[in-house]
Amino acid sequence: MQSVQNCGSYGKMMEYHYTGPVEQRFSPYAFNGGTVLAVAGEDFAIVASDTRLSEGYSIHSRDSPKCYKLTDTTVIGCSGFHGDCLTLTKIIDARLKMYKHANNKTMTSGAIAAMLSTVLYGRRFFPYYVYNIIGGLDEEGRGAVYSFDPVGSYQRDTYKAGGSASAMLQPLLDNQIGFKNMENVEHVPLSQEKAVQLVKDVFISAAERDVYTGDALRLCVITKEGIKEETVPLRKD
Amino acid sequence: MEYLIGIQGPDFVLVAADNVAASSIIQMKHDYDKMFKLSEKILLLCVGEAGDTVQFAEYIQKNVQLYKMRNGYELSPAAAANFTRKNLADYLRSRTPYHVNLLLAGFDEADGPGLYYMDYLSALAKAPFAAHGYGAFLTLSILDRFYRPDLTRDEAVELLKKCLEELNRRFILNLPSFTVRLIDKDGIHDLERLPLAAK
Amino acid sequence: MALASLLKSESADFSLRCERPFAFGAGWDQTELGFGTSAGDGLNFAVKAPLCAEDEDGPERKIEFLHGTTTLAFKFQHGVIVAVDSRATAGSYIASQTVKKVIEINPYLLGTMAGGAADCSFWERLLARQCRIYELRNKERISVAAASKLLANMVYQYKGMGLSMGTMVCGWDKRGPGLYYVDSEGNRICGDQFAVGSGSMYAYGVLDSGLRPDLSVEEACELGRRAIYQATYRDAYSGGTVNLYRVHSEGWEKVSQEDVLGLHLQYSSQTA
Repeated sequence: MQSVQNCGSYGKMMEYHYTGPVEQRFSPYAFNGGTVLAVAGEDFAIVASDTRLSEGYSIHSRDSPKCYKLTDTTVIGCSGFHGDCLTLTKIIDARLKMYKHANNKTMTSGAIAAMLSTVLYGRRFFPYYVYNIIGGLDEEGRGAVYSFDPVGSYQRDTYKAGGSASAMLQPLLDNQIGFKNMENVEHVPLSQEKAVQLVKDVFISAAERDVYTGDALRLCVITKEGIKEETVPLRKD
Repeated sequence: MEYLIGIQGPDFVLVAADNVAASSIIQMKHDYDKMFKLSEKILLLCVGEAGDTVQFAEYIQKNVQLYKMRNGYELSPAAAANFTRKNLADYLRSRTPYHVNLLLAGFDEADGPGLYYMDYLSALAKAPFAAHGYGAFLTLSILDRFYRPDLTRDEAVELLKKCLEELNRRFILNLPSFTVRLIDKDGIHDLERLPLAAK
Repeated sequence: MALASLLKSESADFSLRCERPFAFGAGWDQTELGFGTSAGDGLNFAVKAPLCAEDEDGPERKIEFLHGTTTLAFKFQHGVIVAVDSRATAGSYIASQTVKKVIEINPYLLGTMAGGAADCSFWERLLARQCRIYELRNKERISVAAASKLLANMVYQYKGMGLSMGTMVCGWDKRGPGLYYVDSEGNRICGDQFAVGSGSMYAYGVLDSGLRPDLSVEEACELGRRAIYQATYRDAYSGGTVNLYRVHSEGWEKVSQEDVLGLHLQYSSQTA
């Protein structure tokens, strides 16, 4: 890393002679921030994300939602490196079309999750830098959430936050939805109204404390009637 | 950490290998056999990089066995050693070299006993006695001092015990037991496993 | 290419690679995969002991990955006990407390998960496929020895390319209970007891001190549970719930799934 040290503390070139091997590695990755969240209920699922696209200190866009509608009952939230998010969602869309043409039916959320896992693992040695969360309805019409790591490990959850503010959202959800580590509490099933309100609240809180989260919140509520979208403004600073 | 030793006598070869299979700092197994029977009278002792040892030794083993099936007779120890060396040398210049250190011991009707030392850089040497691993530093001098080409089987076992006792005394790591085998004109014989504890 | 070809076989391509007679040994076709990514991307459960700290390669290691785990399995007179924790961590953040670290390969084979979560689940799923193909071809179940060797040979092809996997393949076959440790370094070891992961040392301690040849099923289950519990107590990277399985001659059964919090209350009231 000689090249870095060539410039002395005054910004002048201190050393003129090449003193050792110089390694420069091109990194094709960037982190564009953003937070995604999915919650599953009895007969609905919610996928939500903020709409900020940033890199380092600068905000590139205030209107770049990270929720992608895949089928009538499935929405995916992708955060991380936006370039890979776009590539990945386009690949998924193509695979969904291929499946539909081959089988004359749309893929279920569970099938999409299994497929995404192998798509991600296919790039095991040059991964898609994307944190994915799938929200949708399963075959029985119940809400389902599948969370992924960048190389395709996945599991089904009832609620999961991913991306830059995931560590802020998740504890709140553990408390409000999972009733974690509480004694003598009634585990009331989550209503759609409470879920929507909760999602809005946690994102408002995240926008308060995370520099990569803000501008607006895009909510997708998935029920058997279809997908309802809603946008809520967040802090823009 | 691992240790292999071989001692050749007038009509036999005595070999020993430690029994530890380790992963990082944990001993996963205490009765692991590091010897591979290539034919009725040839043993290959193998230590080195995890995975490489078994993969390479089994590759050689199966090829030596295939040779017997195709030709109706077995490779001599010298031929097996040179076959092993050639393979190791070829892989050394590939993108996937095998990091294995070997001892090959055998008995040939014509040439008598044979002991071959081979390292991961595929240097091959025929030797009256040989050892691999850190333990070799401690024990080669003992072999230099006490080895005679005409030693009897009992004397060879005593010499081996002397080496293992030295390991127990000076070597920092605990090698609790060793597999000992002897090859002569009648084939491969299992000798009593030598425990090193209770000293 | 190898990995890609595994994934692309949507259509029934079940041919074993028979055209390579001595086709073993690391790879021919790794050229196309030659991206040297750093040790782990994604979910990880540290296989290595916490003593060997990961070297910090600064900004290069941007992709947050998860690690830390305790898994154990041991043979006893009535079969094999498999016990695991359920925590996945990314640095100091607990990414999940509900990971299923026992992979049900088929009704009589289990695999455990330590190292890269994606690596373990992907390769053990591929192993499940290979085992099923073996059954269809040979009209009999695959032995634990053969299954573990299939897995070991698959991951050996990728040695040195950054796969991270430490698994125990447990089952029952003609030879009785089977237990093999297989890792991405290329190790494949048959044994009577193993523990894998960052909390493995603590688990070994309890396991080795409590193992007797005449354990009953209940005692063996309790030993496995206790060993994992003690590991979660000492190892910050292990925790969540203790999942317990038993393998017997009819296949495996899930014995219990208990929150460590509940176990803690239970055990502390016992000693008090």
